[in-house]
Amino acid sequence: MSTAPATGCPVHHGRDDRKSAKVAETNLTPMAGARVVSSFAAGRDILRSPKVRQAGASAEAVDLSKPEEISFFFLDGDLHRKRRAAVAGLFAPKTIVTRHRAVMDRTMDAIVADLQRRGSAPLDELSWQMAVDVAAEIVGLTESDSNASLAGRVKAVLDSSVSRRPGFFNTLLFNAKMMVRVGRFWKHDLAPAIEARRKQLRDDVISHMVKENYSKKGMIMECLSYGGAGMMTTREFIVMAAWHLFEKPALRERFLTGDETDQFAILEEILRLEPVASLLHRRAVEPVEGEHGAAMQDGEAVCVSIREANTDEAITGPCPYELDPDRARRMKVIGPYMSFGDGPHRCPGAQVALHETRVFLDRLFRLPGIRLESVPDVLWNPQIQGYELRGAVVACDPA
Amino acid sequence: MVMVRFIAIDGSEQTIDATCGMSLMENAVANGVEAIEAICGGNAYCGTCRVHVDPVWRKVTGPVTEIEEPMIEASGDSDPGVRLSCQIPVTTDLEGLVVRTPESQS
Ligand code: HEM
Repeated sequence: MSTAPATGCPVHHGRDDRKSAKVAETNLTPMAGARVVSSFAAGRDILRSPKVRQAGASAEAVDLSKPEEISFFFLDGDLHRKRRAAVAGLFAPKTIVTRHRAVMDRTMDAIVADLQRRGSAPLDELSWQMAVDVAAEIVGLTESDSNASLAGRVKAVLDSSVSRRPGFFNTLLFNAKMMVRVGRFWKHDLAPAIEARRKQLRDDVISHMVKENYSKKGMIMECLSYGGAGMMTTREFIVMAAWHLFEKPALRERFLTGDETDQFAILEEILRLEPVASLLHRRAVEPVEGEHGAAMQDGEAVCVSIREANTDEAITGPCPYELDPDRARRMKVIGPYMSFGDGPHRCPGAQVALHETRVFLDRLFRLPGIRLESVPDVLWNPQIQGYELRGAVVACDPA
Repeated sequence: MVMVRFIAIDGSEQTIDATCGMSLMENAVANGVEAIEAICGGNAYCGTCRVHVDPVWRKVTGPVTEIEEPMIEASGDSDPGVRLSCQIPVTTDLEGLVVRTPESQS
């Protein structure tokens, strides 16, 4: 555990419990020309303003004239709201409890059985399985030969998209690899799911897309957005939360003896310190009025720094780098602070992610002999501007 | 400041001094009204800040807005006075407002 005194907090001798801060500090690259916004209040006002639009390299290269071909991540205004509204029920707290919880429990049964049989396993492999199973249920990718194969194919597409390198030859190579991998995902996962939904609609994203006549490209894009936004983020967060709990016995004890509300408070506080997404870019399409840095000129681009907003003492109170699960309640703020964004694009999967992480860790830490055999390396994924934790291995006693 | 009364499902009451210009949800959270969870922080995306507006106040607070509909529908809450408190701005017109909180926000 890092116990270096937190800079900016000499009076309270606060610890710096963050594990991803250093790699983020070294690698974070806000979009060129974008003003960085560090205040929580200003960031929230900007993200909530109806006068801003998604910005950043990929968002601004999207052809908005064909909305049926693009993910709602890139849309704004009325069209965005309608698309979000159409799938809102899939993420509602009630749906999580009555429907997704069963998937989480089932997946965890399989993960536990597998871990007990093997004796040890890479933690990010286990967390990936959980993230994929839950997102697959929400999206409706239910007709794959197995969820393990689905997980492998989604990973192949996402990995090839994040390992993209500049240069002519690399672009050709990237396109060829990508086409093959997307083709496999289409053939084995998405096309069978669409066919099944054409026969009988269900309550999931693919059914919605079938009803709305999305193009093939639109469906692939939407599914991959969920893959990137929902699966990759949750995989990292589960490993990060597990790592904190493994090395802090008192926190682990509190997690295991606490009620669900307290367990969520612990997870949310870890996410505040270790946000998986770090930067949110927006461009003003009209002048935005506001105070404390929230005002924007027409056409101006900003980069809301989630890391800085989450440690803004105006909203965290003293010792912002210290892991303190009682902080949010004391400060009367929502627990994850800005880790799930804010405004119209705020993460719809926030509660889903917190629930699956809670279910995963609650079961994992109750396993006899559970231990962390090796700590992860903290890597950086430049495409999503977030940390990646690789190499953590967990072991437990056989069943 | 205006006075707003929250009545919980067990009949217990909490009266708060609400600040105009903030939402009813923000006022409830700031004053520790336990039954208002508001886990999305006021974006109308979670449906966990639901209140049931007392019949006499419904005209003043107004009907459910379009932005509230999806989450109210998803919550299954069919109370005729249901609203998301994050979408009710507090104004001087709300002096004496009475709302009830549902048994569970999820
Ligand atoms: C710990 C896990 C997660 C984190 C940290 C996270 C973070 C975020 C953030 C910061 C945004 C806002 C992006 C922006 O404003 O531009 C976002 C959007 C989104 N997230 Fe998540 N997310 C997580 C899990 C999930 C899950 C489990 C799902 C679905 C199964 C999901 C689906 C989405 C989608 C579809 C969007 C786009 C929303 C829109 O543009 O309206 N996320 N996420």
